[in-house]
Amino acid sequence: MSISMNKSSSGSPKGNGMKFTGKTVFSASANVFVLFLVIAMLIPVAYMIMMSFRTGSEIAQDPLGFPTSLYFGNYINAMDKMNYFRSVVNSLGITLSVTALVSLLGSMAAYPLARRTNGFSKAVIMLVSLGLATPNFVNITPIYIIFRDLGLLDSYVGIIIVFTALNLPLSIFFYTGFISSVPKELEEAARLDNCSNWQIYWHVIRPLLGSATATLSLFVMLMVWNDFIYPLLLLTDESKFTVMISVYRFVGNRSIEPDMLFPAAVLGSLPLLILFGFFQRRILSGVTAGAVK
Amino acid sequence: MNNKLNIYLFTIPALLVLCIFFIYPISLSLQMSFTDFTGVGIGNDVGLKNYERIFSRSRYLDAITITFAFAFIVVVVQNLIGLFFATALFRLPRIRNFSRAALFTPAMMSFVIVGYVWQFIYSPYSGGLNAMLVSIGLESFQRPWLGDPSTALFAITAAHIWMFVGYSCAIFLAGYANIPTDIQEASRLDGASSWQRFCHIEFPLLAPSITINIVLATIGTLKTFELPFIMTGGGPAGATRTLSLEIMTNLFGRYKFGFASALSIVMLIVIVVVVTLMNKYLRNRENNT
Amino acid sequence: MNKQKIKLIGTAISLLLASNYSYAAAVTLDVTAWKGNEAEPAGFPVLLKKFEQENPDIKIKLSFISRGDTDVVIPPRLQGNNSPDVMMVDMPLVKIWGDAGMLKDLNTKSDWYGDIAPAIKESIAPKGKLYVQPLELVGMGNFINTDLMKKAGIDKTPTTVNELIDSCKKLNDAGISPMLFPSGLSARLFAFANGLSRSPSKPWELGNGTASFVDDPGFNKAFSLTRDLIAANCFDPKIQAALDPWTTTLSEFRGGRVAMVMHGAWNIKSFSETEGLNYTLGPIPTDKATGTALDTFGMGWAISSKTKHAEAARKFLNFFAEDENLAVLLKDESAYSPYIKGTDGVPALAEKYNAARAAGNIVMWPVYMNHWPQAMESESVDGMASFLLDPDMSSKEVLEIWDETVEDSM
Repeated sequence: MSISMNKSSSGSPKGNGMKFTGKTVFSASANVFVLFLVIAMLIPVAYMIMMSFRTGSEIAQDPLGFPTSLYFGNYINAMDKMNYFRSVVNSLGITLSVTALVSLLGSMAAYPLARRTNGFSKAVIMLVSLGLATPNFVNITPIYIIFRDLGLLDSYVGIIIVFTALNLPLSIFFYTGFISSVPKELEEAARLDNCSNWQIYWHVIRPLLGSATATLSLFVMLMVWNDFIYPLLLLTDESKFTVMISVYRFVGNRSIEPDMLFPAAVLGSLPLLILFGFFQRRILSGVTAGAVK
Repeated sequence: MNNKLNIYLFTIPALLVLCIFFIYPISLSLQMSFTDFTGVGIGNDVGLKNYERIFSRSRYLDAITITFAFAFIVVVVQNLIGLFFATALFRLPRIRNFSRAALFTPAMMSFVIVGYVWQFIYSPYSGGLNAMLVSIGLESFQRPWLGDPSTALFAITAAHIWMFVGYSCAIFLAGYANIPTDIQEASRLDGASSWQRFCHIEFPLLAPSITINIVLATIGTLKTFELPFIMTGGGPAGATRTLSLEIMTNLFGRYKFGFASALSIVMLIVIVVVVTLMNKYLRNRENNT
Repeated sequence: MNKQKIKLIGTAISLLLASNYSYAAAVTLDVTAWKGNEAEPAGFPVLLKKFEQENPDIKIKLSFISRGDTDVVIPPRLQGNNSPDVMMVDMPLVKIWGDAGMLKDLNTKSDWYGDIAPAIKESIAPKGKLYVQPLELVGMGNFINTDLMKKAGIDKTPTTVNELIDSCKKLNDAGISPMLFPSGLSARLFAFANGLSRSPSKPWELGNGTASFVDDPGFNKAFSLTRDLIAANCFDPKIQAALDPWTTTLSEFRGGRVAMVMHGAWNIKSFSETEGLNYTLGPIPTDKATGTALDTFGMGWAISSKTKHAEAARKFLNFFAEDENLAVLLKDESAYSPYIKGTDGVPALAEKYNAARAAGNIVMWPVYMNHWPQAMESESVDGMASFLLDPDMSSKEVLEIWDETVEDSM
């Protein structure tokens, strides 16, 4: 698709995530300067964490102050009332299922789109852009009615299908770009061996998609973790709730109390940050396996 | 021949999902946009009245302008900062992994939380930003950041940029990782300076990540309503009222589903046109470098 | 094991199954509410337990859905014929869902309807259809930090605009910031209370176009009074225009950095938990000697017209109509009973507000009585913000837009 991609075809296979080559040793001051900027970007996060350890009265007296002691009362209160662990497990399970489904459906659809340019693929890409552009609130009522008719209300299956559908346009967009950059030579070799399209997709293309899938899983994770309209719409059983619903029902809706908002905010984001640490390594290690088999 | 037909079958599951979850709801919205539907019960046909109102009131054109201003600022600034960090971190392997994760952290928080945290920061009373200005001797720059119509939109874009700059940076870094080793080394052997390498080699080769970044940021910001909704509610005096916020208030505050559907259709057309044009332009640019 | 034993076990199991069966046959009422969570419990934990004890054949399944999310989540359920049995509603929801036939007519012949307070009695049953059982009226008035007032040498709660202006002067002299006045709430409380209490028209006449805001002497006066407050340095209008009334404003008052803020009585619970904060709730200062109480219709219950458990739903509503039960909710909410002789849940620190109510100087928040269209809620915020940003502008400019909003909503 572009010269940059063609050039790379001779070198390491695509999907070789983050094999960096910059060996130049920059001065220590450059390191310090950039690190300083990065840490400056984290001030609001630090602020949130600091606030979460302070009592309501402390915050009222001095909104910018440091916590005088590590006050865990807010957290104990929040964990207790939020049914926290159960909802973390729910969010996690939903995220994993959705990622698996989205990456399968998305990469399958993207394969022909990346390899053939004709009226059909253009039409599908238009459809995908339409999906990408659709604001989430447009499809709420139709989705509810479809799910009621299918008997999928208040089920994990239902919520997994919704999030899969909502993430699908993005994943097709993503994989199409990614597969376009995979050199065709690998496939051509397979084709000479009389492999079917499905075999080529499954044995040649799919194993290369690791780093794209890892990145995509981040998007999926963010959505599953942070969206609360669909879980609220489709789930009524408390034991199936995702983390964000637990956060919101805890924090309430009229006047916002900082000593409830901030610990809930930290608890809401924490599992995501830990997971991110995990995926981060996965992206880094690069998924080279399978390409040169 | 059999093979050629076969490959399109791969799109069928995805197409099915797209039709059920996007095409069908959008066609329902289109139908609703010609009615006075309130969200429950049955709507009455009102013809083109909803669309007439959109185009005869300056309010909605203003909202479109604000939406574009928001998107433009975010797309440009977020990607410049993201590119700056990616370029710097590419050259600074020792702090690269930590920094990338650190920059990405804000994107892990939900809009609601980011909105409230920044509201505390911008607060005219004991807000962090004003306090900081005082401590470095810039008292005269203090202002009610979200309360002043001339700064409110910028204040919200800053929060949005802060949230997603790590995204841009991560995508650019992935782009850097895809620059073939031999090209990198060849240029270094030629004795090119860091800046020259960036301008002549890296930047052109980053074209695909630039495309992805710009398209994602554009879509994300044109649809956004969360931060203005939480931080200003569209105020002061409409200065931060984006098109999707307008849709949200009509839909869920006022139960004007029919009218909100008409607004959604207008928004959908605007986004599809903008993104298609942009994608075309950027892809062409990629191919010409 | 002999046969008899087996038989016995068999009987025991079938009995168990049978009891399970009858348990499953008990009615489960699906109830949605934006109360009953940790932040705003509204006495639900106690009340629901009590209800289930009194009605062992009915189980309550309460889903918390915040007021904002209610707009998003409930309409699809109503539209999909899968609505909750009992829903928490406010008046704008009653209008939309009731008009669409989604709510059951509770009938004005219900026992409790006869005792409803006159201020809301007519308005909750327009056209003779009663879709809502009110739970509470919430006061909105002027919160006053008594320590700061004492420091400035003020010992009387300001109840008239002149007294308010006088207090501002004294507070300023003592170096204390007198008020916060965000357009999102406080500025509107002041303008609506003064506008409505002086207006020759009824609130619904302004809201249905038979009277106009532009020509209304009350509302024009309300803006000029706001200008007077600005002139007396009660607050800095530029800063107040877009101040968030739900976060910053409250934390400033809680922190004792401002003497007065006009806000809702729902804050009493959290204010009282704040250490070192001594305060009272007074009425909104107007030209009445007692000031004016600005009540709002908080919330009520409605029954879905499609419910399969109408009888159980009735029982649930009747339970909340009993004074003894409702009092628990009202105490948690610091709210007034919607019934004539009901027990109020407002603590003694709202004594001056109570006095204004007792004197009959009450106005109702017009949007939440459906006197004004729902769109006025956000338009009035914008209007007040524009005015605060530029207090020299004519009040007519703002009021004209309000008239247009009314016209657009018809």
